Amino acid sequence: MEDPEILLKFQDPASRNLAFNQLVRKYQQKVYWHVRKMVVDHADADDLTQDVFVKVFQHLANFRQDAALFTWIYRIATNECLSFLQSKRRKFFLPLNDVGAELAAKLEADPAIAGDEIELRLQKAILRLPDKQRLVFNLRYYDEMPYEQMAEVTGTSVGALKASYHHAARKIEDYVTKADNLTAATDEAD
Amino acid sequence: MKTPFRLDEHPRRGPQPLSSPPAGYFEQLPTRIMAQVAAPARRPQPLAWLWAAPASLRTGLASTLLLGTFAASLWLGNTPLGRPAATADTLAAVPQQQLLEYLTNGETHVDMLDLAELPTRQLGLTKHYLRPSASELTAALDGQPADEPGVL
Repeated sequence: MEDPEILLKFQDPASRNLAFNQLVRKYQQKVYWHVRKMVVDHADADDLTQDVFVKVFQHLANFRQDAALFTWIYRIATNECLSFLQSKRRKFFLPLNDVGAELAAKLEADPAIAGDEIELRLQKAILRLPDKQRLVFNLRYYDEMPYEQMAEVTGTSVGALKASYHHAARKIEDYVTKADNLTAATDEAD
Repeated sequence: MKTPFRLDEHPRRGPQPLSSPPAGYFEQLPTRIMAQVAAPARRPQPLAWLWAAPASLRTGLASTLLLGTFAASLWLGNTPLGRPAATADTLAAVPQQQLLEYLTNGETHVDMLDLAELPTRQLGLTKHYLRPSASELTAALDGQPADEPGVL
């Protein structure tokens, strides 16, 4: 079912649930992975994905269609992720690096990455970025989203997004290179 | 020293670099979400319209409610309540003997002298006594024995 048809059927109370069910089936994987890359943990991603779709349901009747439906859903998911990470830091009185360490520990426990040393370093480097910059990096590097769409999702100008992405990429390359050199030096010393 | 790491030379793991969710997760997720959104729809919030109202209207309603509460508390504070009359009626229904026993049982620290019915004072007499005329005062003084120094 195409987005305009979903929106049309959602307006009719008789077909609202059917339309929303189609919407969830269509976008659940994209939303889940967008959230998962930000919070790493599956259980957190599961909770947040459900929260995102509940908010979509509550506000879809007011959706003005001045942006693509998925861009609008992505924006809700992005805000949920940033709020979640912010409240996590406030709740546990943890500084930035400690939440990063918690996420890194979850990363190390992830069976898909645990055996791949380079990939683990890359993921740890991504985790060291500030939340908003990490979000920009994920949207561009993994989702390959055009900068114009990213601008709609994040409410940031295209120029600022390009600068943020290249800055993030540079920081990641530096971090992984330093980690590689440190490991090589340790191996030589042994 | 190793070759510097370059992102564009690193083989990308597709859009999902982390491990997949449990098997069947995406088949169950729509049902779980639909269960969440369907439940509140059956139970509309009685004050939901209030949250949907403009902020100015909500502020106005809150101010009116506050003023109303203040006015009601003032009005109630100035209105005599029926309680004292009801208390007097209840007390009147108690037999005199029971009252007397209660008041003199030793715990209330009331003795018979406190309960004695004293004759009503004649306020008119007192008033007259305390404000004598000049002629009455002179007559009273003249009537006193001359050898009483305390009087003069």
